[in-house]
Amino acid sequence: MSELVGEIQTATSAAPPERLNFSYTKRPGLLKLTIVNFLLSIITLGFYRFWAKTNVRKHIWSSVHINGEPLEYTGTGMELFKGFLVVFFVLLLPYILAVTAATVIQGPESPIAVLLQIAFFLAIYVLWGFAVYKARKFQLSRTNWRGIRGTLVGSAMIYSLLYFGSMLAKSMSAGWATPVMNTVLAEQITNDMRFGDAAFKFKGRAGPLYPTYAMCWLLTLVAIIAIIVIFVGSSTLTDEIKSMFDPDTSPDTIAEIVKYIILAGVILFFTFMLVIPMLWAIYTAKELRTFATYTRFDGVPFTLDATTGSVIWLTVINLLLIVFTLGIAWPFVQQRIVKFFVDRMTLEGLVDVDRIRQSSAKMDRRGEGLADAFDVGGL
Amino acid sequence: MSIEAIYFDGEMARDHAVTVNRVGSNLSFQGAAVPATTWSISGLHSIDPPTPGQPFRITHDNKPGARLIIRDQAFIDDLVAQNSHLKGGYSWRHLGQVLGWTAGGLAAFAGLGYLAMTVLPQQIAGLLPHSWRDRSGDQVITSLVGTAKRCETPGSKSAIAAMVAALAESGTDIPSVAIDIYDMDLVNAFAVPGGHIVLTRGLLKEASDPDEVTGVLAHELGHVYHLHPEAQLVRFAGLQVLAGAISGGSSGDLVTSAAGLATILRYTREAEREADAYARDVMVKASVDPIGLKRFFEKFMKLEGIKPGEPPQESSALDTIGNVFSTHPGTQDRIKEIQPLPAGKTPVKIMTDEQFRDLQQACG
Repeated sequence: MSELVGEIQTATSAAPPERLNFSYTKRPGLLKLTIVNFLLSIITLGFYRFWAKTNVRKHIWSSVHINGEPLEYTGTGMELFKGFLVVFFVLLLPYILAVTAATVIQGPESPIAVLLQIAFFLAIYVLWGFAVYKARKFQLSRTNWRGIRGTLVGSAMIYSLLYFGSMLAKSMSAGWATPVMNTVLAEQITNDMRFGDAAFKFKGRAGPLYPTYAMCWLLTLVAIIAIIVIFVGSSTLTDEIKSMFDPDTSPDTIAEIVKYIILAGVILFFTFMLVIPMLWAIYTAKELRTFATYTRFDGVPFTLDATTGSVIWLTVINLLLIVFTLGIAWPFVQQRIVKFFVDRMTLEGLVDVDRIRQSSAKMDRRGEGLADAFDVGGL
Repeated sequence: MSIEAIYFDGEMARDHAVTVNRVGSNLSFQGAAVPATTWSISGLHSIDPPTPGQPFRITHDNKPGARLIIRDQAFIDDLVAQNSHLKGGYSWRHLGQVLGWTAGGLAAFAGLGYLAMTVLPQQIAGLLPHSWRDRSGDQVITSLVGTAKRCETPGSKSAIAAMVAALAESGTDIPSVAIDIYDMDLVNAFAVPGGHIVLTRGLLKEASDPDEVTGVLAHELGHVYHLHPEAQLVRFAGLQVLAGAISGGSSGDLVTSAAGLATILRYTREAEREADAYARDVMVKASVDPIGLKRFFEKFMKLEGIKPGEPPQESSALDTIGNVFSTHPGTQDRIKEIQPLPAGKTPVKIMTDEQFRDLQQACG
């Protein structure tokens, strides 16, 4: 009894609020992990991907340090595998059975078979946001820092409906609803985010995004019109192509025309694969910066130093990594994405960390089945 | 040996300085706000594989949310060296688990595939509602006959009725069927789901007497009786489901493709034997001369250019599908099994010569 009293008396008082510094410290072993994951995935005909994802997350999470303490990924491959099994047996298999039965009995063009297929595609669109939300929730609840885990406390169904609505609004407004819808979606999911009992808050208007959006949209339009004017508007090209098949045309002229066609192809490729995506990196960077300042953790705002150049560099190198390794290097792509955010993110104030209590939210026992089935992007 | 470490209790984000002692097979630690705690070393887990120069993070079965972070390298090395379960990384157990699940998954898949191809179809066929059988039968007929028109004259109708009536004399359970003639060149007859039998103009023209056509009809009735077409349909649907499950979606409308038809209308050798046995039984009981069937069988093989003892060559899918005598190896044996009527039984006359002529000229 006297010992206990002594302990309470000597208990140090909690540390004062502190600045949180984020850093990404590369650890050795990611290449080995990538190779082993690849080999095991082949041996197991792809079944290993749930464990592969888990190993990579463990590695990347533990490379992220906040004030010297690393993050920890506590999820398991089995949880992801079970998530996959549930989606397969509850959603995919019944659908395949129903469609096959309808096709065999009623015919492939029968109303019921067609209706089933339409319903399935509609379900994918409606459930897409659900998959995004559930995957985010799973990952947060498996992320520990100083023994405390994160979570999402809201409804995946509401987010899913919002997400579906945003897809409709974006397509019906020729893209112009994008800043508003992205803001609404970010607000919805960020306000549900918790670390322990400490909350994230998102507050801000889409208005400041519009000048940049309008510029990117108009420049894209200009680029497309320019292409149309150059290739369709000038009838000389079509005439020249026709003359290629004229027996009177000399081989030299044909060679000349072929050069033109190749040049045209190169210009088209560069416009649509490079110029336009790079143009949109301006908006992406602006949105990332803006949303960071709209986000607060425990009342303290973030900033994210995302420049257009850095977004382009991140995307282009990631694309090349995927293309030239046929996707095998995906762990490095994920590492680059996480490192991008961690290196450029700052929390502009002091947080009373010691006060934060463990989250009381229930943890899902399985994870990411839908996100896996849809191949939803992200980590 | 006593060292300093950091402790997170998994309930608050606050860190606690603790003093850790290793006593035998236990670690015990305590700090200013941490009461004395003892963790068995066997119950410890490493969060990450120990990396030299990096703090070593461990937890315990008793308190999975708690973390003990040790920086003393000598202490870590000592602890890990004597307890290999803390080394982390790839373990045989982990690998075994993954391979086990993979093998299990593949075995389950192969098992389902085997069932879907063998035992199940015949079982499920019996459970299909009659309306389903009818509708799928209509579909198969539509894609089978294409643009060929259906032929029916009062004479052909009465001839078909006469054949059914003759076979019904056997007293066996004759399934109720819809028998239709289609204006097609190929020499063939098909049993289709829902109790439909299709006879081609080519087959009727090739037959030289009513016994031959009636024999073929008896054989097809055997398929209908045993629900072979329905079983084939289920087998085919099962294949589609398996293909869909592998590809992760619907595998499209193979039902109406030639390959799909070939799958549906090509029976297993067991099914052909069952249909043969049924035909022989019915014909003997009804006193219909089985030699008609035998003759047509041989005629058909000659037509196809099959020499006795030689495997038939495969031609296009539609030519070989569901031939009355499904021309795969074993055909010779099946011919041999067809015996004449037993002594004392006189073959009945199934229809008049006029009826037979009407039957052959149903398509004009």
